[in-house]
Amino acid sequence: MRTGVLCALAGLFLILSDTVAAAQSREHLAREPRWQALLHINPGATLRDRHRSYVDDDNFFLSDTGKDDPLAELNASIEALRPAQAPERCRFPARYRFFAEHLGWEESGGQESAPFAHCDEYMEWRQSVQANRAVLVFPAAYLNSPSSMFGHTLLRLDQTGDGTVWLSWAVNFGAMTSEQDNSLFYIYRGLAGGYPGRFTLVPYVQKIQEYSHMENRDIWEYDLTLNQEEIDWVIEHLWELKDINFDYYFFDENCSFRLLELVEVARPGTGLLDKWRFAELPVNTVRALDDKDLIEQRHYRPSKAQELEALVAEMTVAERRLSRRLADDPDLAQSAEFQAYPPPRQALMAQTAYRHVRFIHRKEERTEDVAKRSFALLGLMSRLPTATPPRVQPQRPPEEGHGTKMLGVSGGQWGADDYGQLTWRMTYHDLLDNRRGFLDGAQIEGLGVTLRSTESQAVKLERLDLVSIRSLSPRDTFSKPLSWYVEGGLERAWAQGRRLTRYVQGGAGLSWRWQGWQPYMLLSARAENNSAFSTWITPGGGAEAGLLYNTGAWQWQLSSAGHYFTNDEYRHRSRLSAHYALGRQHGLRASLEREGWRGDSDTGFNLEWRWYYD
Amino acid sequence: MKKTLLAAALMGASFSAHAVAPGGPGCGWGNLLFEGKSGLPMHILATTFNGTSGNATFGMTSGTNGCDTNGALTYSGESLLGMNGVMEEVAQDMAVGEGEALTALSVSIGVDASDRAHFNSIMHQNFASIFPSQDVTAAEVMQQINMVMSQDQQLAKYV
Repeated sequence: MRTGVLCALAGLFLILSDTVAAAQSREHLAREPRWQALLHINPGATLRDRHRSYVDDDNFFLSDTGKDDPLAELNASIEALRPAQAPERCRFPARYRFFAEHLGWEESGGQESAPFAHCDEYMEWRQSVQANRAVLVFPAAYLNSPSSMFGHTLLRLDQTGDGTVWLSWAVNFGAMTSEQDNSLFYIYRGLAGGYPGRFTLVPYVQKIQEYSHMENRDIWEYDLTLNQEEIDWVIEHLWELKDINFDYYFFDENCSFRLLELVEVARPGTGLLDKWRFAELPVNTVRALDDKDLIEQRHYRPSKAQELEALVAEMTVAERRLSRRLADDPDLAQSAEFQAYPPPRQALMAQTAYRHVRFIHRKEERTEDVAKRSFALLGLMSRLPTATPPRVQPQRPPEEGHGTKMLGVSGGQWGADDYGQLTWRMTYHDLLDNRRGFLDGAQIEGLGVTLRSTESQAVKLERLDLVSIRSLSPRDTFSKPLSWYVEGGLERAWAQGRRLTRYVQGGAGLSWRWQGWQPYMLLSARAENNSAFSTWITPGGGAEAGLLYNTGAWQWQLSSAGHYFTNDEYRHRSRLSAHYALGRQHGLRASLEREGWRGDSDTGFNLEWRWYYD
Repeated sequence: MKKTLLAAALMGASFSAHAVAPGGPGCGWGNLLFEGKSGLPMHILATTFNGTSGNATFGMTSGTNGCDTNGALTYSGESLLGMNGVMEEVAQDMAVGEGEALTALSVSIGVDASDRAHFNSIMHQNFASIFPSQDVTAAEVMQQINMVMSQDQQLAKYV
């Protein structure tokens, strides 16, 4: 009797302790990095949703409190996924796998009772999405599109060891936009999180079409060190993200950031998200992965424009001109002039002409004329010997470029005043900064502040740059792009005394390049608001001309710009600058500047040390 | 079987229910070589947020939003116009005699690595019969490729 009670007590105790242990182990399990990664819990990398899930979609959670409570979601998931044939297994294969591994779930019986045997849709999908290699893909910036200038990242899943990535899958995270939205609304919503973001899975060849062909962007591809098992985690988890919404935020919760979360699912505990990541730039994603030894190899895929340039570089000036004419009139192939060249040279000219036609019409609807010329040139190429296009020499990869933020300390003189000055720029690159890893002729700056202190005056705001974008694309025989710029903010300029003016300014013009030299000419318009001009907004028009020159670590710029305003004010500014890159993260910059207005002028010089970081 | 399907998909061949007449409504599977892509202003904005319009596609079996009739934002969502681009790439590679698109085509047809150089040169030689006009459809191209291969001793086994 007594022993019976004791046994019962012991049994009860055992059951209790089992439950306690189970509860403890579940708490433990809910804190597992992989569980946290599968739920997309924010470990503190961004301000929104700290220690909650980034997912903004009820369909992703099995518990009502799942977004906030990983343990509740764990319990609900265990309950839902444990029964054989549970329909929830078809939605959460990665979660199932997590439990199977940690709780020792096993399916008895043969093929019929495999954990997902009842999930036709998932099984079919899983069958078609196989991969043995994961690659981070970074379509770099390109000229003439400010929106691309930060770049983009996506993930590629290679399902063949056969060397052709055209049959790979691309995993992309992007905003789901509606075509009805107008532009301004689009921008606002994109920045403010008004669009849902989703993962999509498309054939990689579409991405090549889109980036390297349509948008003319070089693509960098980084093989990740993820092994088969880690890649399978990603694929299975991707299925869980099908049609699941995240809010899309341009600055932090963007394409790049979400990819880091996928890597975290593959290999939990990498610490990729431990650091605060505001304004996640794709290039920093590459650097973060590199820092954690997740990158093993890098490939360069030149854009169509680069390939065309490489072909053009193979030709003499006479061949270039003939090839350009051939593009307009393929019948020239019958001419004595064309026939006089040996077949390999003919093949080179024919291919260049064809690629040129395709390139300039890449965004247009098909027209009978273009289709006819394209086809005639293709036929010509096919009758000539195989002309292997020259290999495009890769530029330096973007991750070798300077840091995205910049702090500058400088001193100089303006007029009769000596001054000290401090500049901070949030992002990203100007025409004089070290060009390694960046596009020549492209400038994109966002949010820069310059404070100046002179002997006679306390610290004052010298300038505040909200945005400054320049795209100087050179013209040649084949390509005739426009160069342009737009900028706005606050700066000190002469208006009955040197004062702070608010301005927006933009212009367009032409540019050329010859070896290290790049001259440019732009017409511009400016609107200004300051306390001396009588009208609230004073518009003006003007022009700018300049010359860029680079050699080794040196970058030079000579520029001169003038504006005439509707209130008969006139102002011009000329500057000579030289920048010397001291390694990757430092630079020394000297400039000489002259500002003139009706009747007078000021001259100054500045010497600056620039430190790039992050 | 699977490989033929893959090749057909890659070529954008009109074997599926999506096939439409040239210039007709729908996704434009197959024909219209040398077509550009429209919707430039939208496109610039879409680049900023890497946007996708319409339904998200998610691999082969799900999220097939089929053919977007307006075709203004062709990428990310719709494989179809993109696939048209592929046919153009294949045409270019065949005319040149080599290239990534041609390799992808041979892989999807199942041509062994050892036969690929031969495949490339046969395709190059027969360019004119495979692409007889600028209005050729992908289905016709695929058919011609099979024909050319079946007449070649070394490639006949892949047809």
